[in-house]
Amino acid sequence: MDEGEATELLAFLSRDTRLDLKGQATEYILGLTGNAEGRRFLASRADFLQALVTLTSDLSLAIVKDSFHSLINLSADPAVHESLIRGTPLLLVLLKNLLDPKYMFADQICTLLSNLSREEDTCQQVFQAIQKEGIGLAKLVEILCTEGYNQNASLHYLAPFLSNLTQLPETRQFIVDRDRCVIQRLLPFIQYKGSTVRRGGVIAILRNCCFESSCHEWLLSDDVDLLAFLLLPLAGPEELSEEEMERLPLDLQYLPEDKKREDDPDIRKMLIEAIMLLTATKVGRQVVKEKGAYLILREFYSWEKEPDVRIACEKLIQVLIGDEPEAGMENLMEVTIPTAVEERLRSLDMEEQRSVKEEQMQRAVEALNEEQRTEQADKSVTEGLER
Amino acid sequence: MASQAPAHEEDSMDSFLDTFKSQKYKGGFNEATWEEEFDKIPMFMKKAPSEIDPEKNPDLACIQSLLFEGKSPEEQAKIYKDEGNDHFKEKEYKKAIAAYTEGLRKQCSNPDLNAILYTNRAAAEFYLGNYRSALNDVIAARKQKQDHLKAIVRGALCHLELKNFTEAIVWCDEGLRISSKEKKLLETRTKADRLRRAEQRDARKATVKAKQEQSQREALLQAIKDRNIKLIQQTCSEEEEVASDGITGLSLDELSSGNATAAKVYLDQKKNLHWPVLFLYPEYRQTDFVSAFHENSRFIDHLIMMFAEDLPPWDVERKYLPNELELYFEDEERAELHQVDVERSLLEVLQHRRYFVKAGTPTFLILVKHSPFCAQYFADKKVHRTA
Repeated sequence: MDEGEATELLAFLSRDTRLDLKGQATEYILGLTGNAEGRRFLASRADFLQALVTLTSDLSLAIVKDSFHSLINLSADPAVHESLIRGTPLLLVLLKNLLDPKYMFADQICTLLSNLSREEDTCQQVFQAIQKEGIGLAKLVEILCTEGYNQNASLHYLAPFLSNLTQLPETRQFIVDRDRCVIQRLLPFIQYKGSTVRRGGVIAILRNCCFESSCHEWLLSDDVDLLAFLLLPLAGPEELSEEEMERLPLDLQYLPEDKKREDDPDIRKMLIEAIMLLTATKVGRQVVKEKGAYLILREFYSWEKEPDVRIACEKLIQVLIGDEPEAGMENLMEVTIPTAVEERLRSLDMEEQRSVKEEQMQRAVEALNEEQRTEQADKSVTEGLER
Repeated sequence: MASQAPAHEEDSMDSFLDTFKSQKYKGGFNEATWEEEFDKIPMFMKKAPSEIDPEKNPDLACIQSLLFEGKSPEEQAKIYKDEGNDHFKEKEYKKAIAAYTEGLRKQCSNPDLNAILYTNRAAAEFYLGNYRSALNDVIAARKQKQDHLKAIVRGALCHLELKNFTEAIVWCDEGLRISSKEKKLLETRTKADRLRRAEQRDARKATVKAKQEQSQREALLQAIKDRNIKLIQQTCSEEEEVASDGITGLSLDELSSGNATAAKVYLDQKKNLHWPVLFLYPEYRQTDFVSAFHENSRFIDHLIMMFAEDLPPWDVERKYLPNELELYFEDEERAELHQVDVERSLLEVLQHRRYFVKAGTPTFLILVKHSPFCAQYFADKKVHRTA
């Protein structure tokens, strides 16, 4: 596209253009955003990006839709983020409309914001825009926790957006602020059946907050009782003895016969990772052990089929049944690891990854051949675990 | 007040005082009741009456009307609010409620003041334990002023007391939206959430227990059915017994024994039945009760236990010796007696084609062989003897 063509095209991308011409122009732009070359071109043209942002408030819904889709395509490419955020009032427009409980394209906004907040530096800019516009995280959490806030959009992608924001310590601090009620409001969404995206996003938020080891004691206390919520999706309908049952947190006791486990393996893995993080401190380990997490994980381990979730679970069980680390190493997050050891661990990790992949392949083949054999293979692994 | 009275008034005063030279002053206090009378004078009152009756306390009613004279409903409502608050501080909740009610009766047009009157009355009701009334008042308060935080806090507390935990949490969340760090709301929410989860657990536990009991009862009925033991229903009149229509009509009611010890037939781990058994001694109008008679034990074993060592005190003739005893059961429908071989087990007897277990408790008659009472007892009955 030479300069002349570009100027001509740009002229059509305005609110006053005749609808049919404007439609063709936005359609063409949408096509451009579908390939890397087109995106590179648009990233270099602040005037085009500006025009797209303006067209998100066009009177024709079709134009708005195309504009949003173009912007979503662009936001999927981190190379365009700077131009979008610095060169246009995009964030301002998005955040303002996100609060509107009737806005038709709020889901597209959530997707855009989620894309834009993925990388740490743009995430910081998104965060600042939220503060600057006087919206604040509280309002976002409020909207996320209010089902049906927007009658025209589900807003499920608000959860992954917020989870991207929790890569910033400021957001984590806000979520775990014990003078407010934030994390407690998110907890019920661990069980949210309506959307895997929302559920997964909330669980990712919680996992990220578990990196705040200074809050572990509070997170595990009765005020939050995070462990019970994290364990519940991992618990199945298996009957435990009354004695074992009474050791568990209340939420895990006497679960019904039709109790189902979380069916998304990535979410299951995140839950285990979150619990793992909680065992990084001495007091955390103590509580996680005391509350009978092992009983739930034991049953979970014999049920789980996904190799990488099994490995995560195995590691956690190791921590729970293993000896306490020696003095001075109680907080595993603060332990400095010698370079040689770190390298060795990394190569072990890589090997593990490889074997996971192999196992996944093998499982796929086996599943095709014979289902029963897979089951037996799993059983033989289970026996290695202390019951 | 005028310091000098005009001359003519002075004269009339003199003549007024002169009258007492000839007669006694009549307006004075009665010597016997002066204290009571003293208390009725507004200036000397130690305590104002909670309700001012113009008949009994005309002076006070006058002063009161002066207080409100020329004042707008709003000002009057405010006076009542202050009065209510004074009572409230003194923990005189009933008086406080009366004052706030008076204030509300003024129907002033200031919604803030009305909201406060309702909320304060709610607080007084709350401290009297009238959580329903308190809740109604805070709801009324919020109709005057939707965001009245104190009303929301009180409402949350009422719901908590009324065990509407979910509602309590909703109210807390609404309040926290207005004031995100309100301690009382944070506390109440945590408490309500914990109690709600405990309640849910109790409900789950009850379901599990009920299910267990149900399956135990079913196993028990099945065991009775498998043994071909016949139960009969006990009708309300207790005079008449209707034979149950075979095994299909078995229900748990037929197993409820009417006796006070509440012993019931049960199935042990080894699938053996244990019955409560009643022995009757018609000669002396005495009874013995075995609370758990193993179905495979023989009658003679029990008789030896019961009569071998200590003979019962009522056996004045010392004739109830194990080997001298005869055992019978009654076929009430046909008014016939069947002799039972004491060498037989309970199960064998219960399986007899004419044995019907009544009220869940097998019953047997014990008589002494060849005794005169025995002969007399059987005189007008048909007896099936063992071979």
